[in-house]
Order: sequence, then C-alpha cells, then structure tokens
Amino acid sequence: MRVNGIAIDDGFAEAFAMKATRLVITAHERMWAMLAATSATGMATSVIGCGCEGGIEGELSPQETPDGRPGVSILLFAVSGKELARQVERRVGQCVMTCPTTAIFAGLREGEPVPLGRNLRFFGDGWQIAKVIAGVRYWRIPVMDGEFVAQETTRVVKGVGGGNLLLLARDTDAALAGATAAAQAMRMPGVILPFPGGVVRSGSKVGSKYSSLPASTNEAFCPSLAGRARSELGEEVRCVLEIVIDGMTEGSVAAAMRAGMAAVIARGAQAGVSRITAGNYGGKLGPFHFRLHQLLPEGAAP
Amino acid sequence: MRHRLLLRATPSLRVDARALLPAALSALGREEVLRVLLPCGREGVPVGEWFEVLSQVLDDSLPCLTVEGDLGRFDFLGAALSDGSLEVEGNVGDCAGLGMSGGELRVQGSARDLAGCAMSGGRLQVQGSVGDFAAGALAGEMEGMRGGTLVVRGRAGARLGDRMRRGTVVVHGEAGEFLGSRMVAGTIAIAGRCGAHAGWGMRRGTVVFAGDAPAPPASFVPVRAEAEVFWQLLARDLAGFGGVFEDLPRRNIARWAGDLAVDGKGEWILPR
Repeated sequence: MRVNGIAIDDGFAEAFAMKATRLVITAHERMWAMLAATSATGMATSVIGCGCEGGIEGELSPQETPDGRPGVSILLFAVSGKELARQVERRVGQCVMTCPTTAIFAGLREGEPVPLGRNLRFFGDGWQIAKVIAGVRYWRIPVMDGEFVAQETTRVVKGVGGGNLLLLARDTDAALAGATAAAQAMRMPGVILPFPGGVVRSGSKVGSKYSSLPASTNEAFCPSLAGRARSELGEEVRCVLEIVIDGMTEGSVAAAMRAGMAAVIARGAQAGVSRITAGNYGGKLGPFHFRLHQLLPEGAAP
Repeated sequence: MRHRLLLRATPSLRVDARALLPAALSALGREEVLRVLLPCGREGVPVGEWFEVLSQVLDDSLPCLTVEGDLGRFDFLGAALSDGSLEVEGNVGDCAGLGMSGGELRVQGSARDLAGCAMSGGRLQVQGSVGDFAAGALAGEMEGMRGGTLVVRGRAGARLGDRMRRGTVVVHGEAGEFLGSRMVAGTIAIAGRCGAHAGWGMRRGTVVFAGDAPAPPASFVPVRAEAEVFWQLLARDLAGFGGVFEDLPRRNIARWAGDLAVDGKGEWILPR
C-alpha cells in the first residue's frame, strides 16, 4: 500500500507487556524539576542494558501538581515489578533527592505499590518524619536546602513496551528529518520515546552469534550489509531509523504510532522517507500487535 | 432497613449505647431494634424503653442510623463504629466514637469527655463542643487516636490529642490546657486560642495554629528552613475543613520544633 507516495508495509509492530510507573517531580522552579527529570531518565533507553526504559512524559503546571509547584511527569518501564522497584529507588535517590528543591510523588492511584520514599527515608539518619495527609503517607527527609518530601510508594501497573516504527529513507538527511517530525508528533500523555531524541539507529534483533549477547544488530535493515546479508531494503534505501514507543496502555501506543505515521505521510515521499515498516518477531514474542494499515490516518487513500 | 430513634424519656442513670451501630441495626427489623438491650446500671434495658423507633425499608448503599434527642446520658455512642453512618441530632455523653475504625459519626450537639478516644479510622464530626481528652488515650493505654479524622466545630476541652499517634484533629473553636500533650504523631489544627502547656512532652506530630497562637515554650526552637512542599500538602488538605483553614494555602508560616525535652521532632506551625 502506498499513501502519499510512501509505501506502508502490511506488517505489524510487536510489543510486549512491561511493568510501568509514573512519577511526578516538582521543584521550586520549572528548570530544576526538568533537570531532575532529565537526570532520572538518563541512560534509560533500553532494558537490554539500562535496567529500565524511561522518559519525560510532559510538563505539569502548578495547578496540576500536588504541591502547587511546577512539575514534570516521567514514565519508567521495566521487565519486572522487582526490577522497576529497584530502578525507581536508585534513580530517585541519586537524581531527584540530590536535585535542589525537588519533591517526588506517585503519578498513579491504582496498581501495586512499590517503595518510593519508603527506603530513601533512611538517608535522614533518624531525623526523617513520616506524615499522613489525606490518607497518603509522605516522608520528610532533612536535606541542606530544607527537606526532601517523597511519597512513600508509587504504583506499578502493566504497560506496553516495544511499539515501533521503522522509517526507510533515501539518505541521512531525509531519515533524520522524517524521524524528528514523527517523534515530535508522537510525544503525548501516556507514552515515552526512550531513545535520544526519540530515535534509535541501532535497531536490534533478539540474540546474537555471540552467546553472551541477548541482542545484536538487525542486519536485515542495515544498508551497509545489503547484498551481503539477508536484507529487507530496496535499492533506494540508504538510511533507516527507528522510533520505539513505550506506553501506559495499548491504546496510547497505538495513538502515538498513528500520529507518527501521519506526520511522516504528511511530508510525502518527496521528503525522502520512501517506506514505513515495523519490527516484529513473527508474533511469537509479544501479545500486542499494532498493524500499520490499521493505524493509517483517517482518510489516507492508498 | 433504616431506623430513626427518637428519645422519649431521659434515663436516670448513664446508659451504655455502644450497641446502637448502623450496620448492626440495619440488619434488624423494627421490633428487634426495640428489644436491643442497652446496659444501664446493673441491668440491660431495651431500646423501646427510651426510644420511639421509626423504620423504613430503604436500599442504602451504606447502613445509616439516626438518633434524635438530648443523649447527654448516653455514653459510647458510635464506639467501635467500623462502617456506615450514625447521626445524632442532639448532645451525646462520654466516649462518643471511642475506638471507631471507619464510617462516620456526626453529632449535631456537643460531646462530653473522651470523644474520638483511641479511634483508628473514620470520621467523627461534632457540631458543638467536646470535653476533655478528645482524640486521646484511654487510661493506661500508651497511644491515643491512631487514625481517622475528628472535626470539632465548637470548643475542645483539656488534653486534646493526648498521646495521639496518627490522624487529624480539626478544632474550629478554642481548646483547653495541654493541647497535644505527649503527642506521638498526627496533626492537630486549631482555629481559636488554647490554654497553657500546649505541646507539653510532644515527641512528633504537627500542631497548626490557624488563629491566635500561644508563645512557643522554651523547649521549642525556631526552624529557619522552609518546608514549602509539606506545608502546601498539609494546608490544601486542611483547607477542605473551611472556616479560617480555607485560607491556609495562601499563608506563609513560621515553624517551631520541639518538645526538645523528649524527642524534638514535633512541630508547631504558625501561619502569618
């Protein structure tokens, strides 16, 4: 199928269940909340090597935060609740508690509780104080700029990880422009794009010829290997970029993919992206299948 | 079944009314309610001796019970309440809401001593005043109120929140001596003045003086650091109680920590 000159594969992106949580970081000024959020979601691109996948979901106005200060909402995803709990504690402890004026709150009301401030409180060395306000327990930990307030627990729910789009383009410039436009359109509540700028060039397949590696380069989409390895790429493709999406629900991942495809399609084939496809594992790995043809923008004519 | 009990005669002795619980009585028919025994002196006296009972078959989502009249000689109303709603249209005696763990007890009049004593959950609202040792501990017990919310529209007596461990107490009027004495944790917010020795032996917990605050005792020290986040969380919650508390999120605060004679982790908050 071609839409606006761009070939849309009759395939699907295969995503899998992950454990997810939302955290709300607030600070005296917006800048410090953003710095803490950026730091807490740093090196959180892939569970393959980072322990979790994380990103900034969006900014929150003072009216939207529990303490009336500017805030940032972040999402973290991991393969298990236990690993997510470990990552939450480590990242909040090292990147949020350390950042001037910040406080941290759970961004979800439902789900399984995992420690947020429950263990970080011991940093208070006995001076920490618990406070239950409106049925929610907080820890107040004395620090050098006053006190760090952390909600005792955050909630973990089932999320969806691994939604993806592969953009096949004629050159680097075209691929970068298309991916940037798509990533910008895909930033919406309930989803994160965990890779730098939302874009990943090292798309991977499961496994490797080296037994110690769980994942390795996806040679079928590497233009440099066309003609030498099994390739999915046509003659005109010289650069491929991928956008990976993690979402709180199947619907949010689908919405983001739809928005990304619409942004690329709107630019047309003349912009250099000639084909959109998606990565899957034959349907055997994950229960969530996002069929590209079903995600085409409304009114998109073949 | 929803029942409404109308007091016809005032008993000559004090009555233990802890059996008047909405969940228990809503499962009974009118005749059975009339036969429920209330301890009075050495005897158990049936409800019908003092009350007229009006009953309706209603499909309430939560059990409800209303008691009407001056029940100043009825103690333990709402004691051990765990769910449902109990409304008293009049005064109540001692130990109203004693040890309640859930549900709601609304007293349109005043309550005597030990209101909300040792409660661990639910909401107790008194439109009038409460006597001494509200939200406190029972004699011989180490902990007072352990959860829930006590709201007093009028005045509170002495020893409010004595040994209080958790929960929230809001008083729209004044309070007597030894407010929050030996407090272990929790929150007390008071709109009016209070008597001497407030915060005596307070280990942890928060006392908010939304109105005239007493001078902090010598065993309290001023806290120079700000607590902007905590204050906004607390003030926004307290604002829901109306009155002078409604304005708290917009007010700056001074904080004092104490009582240094014990643990020193309690605090007084004095909005400016």
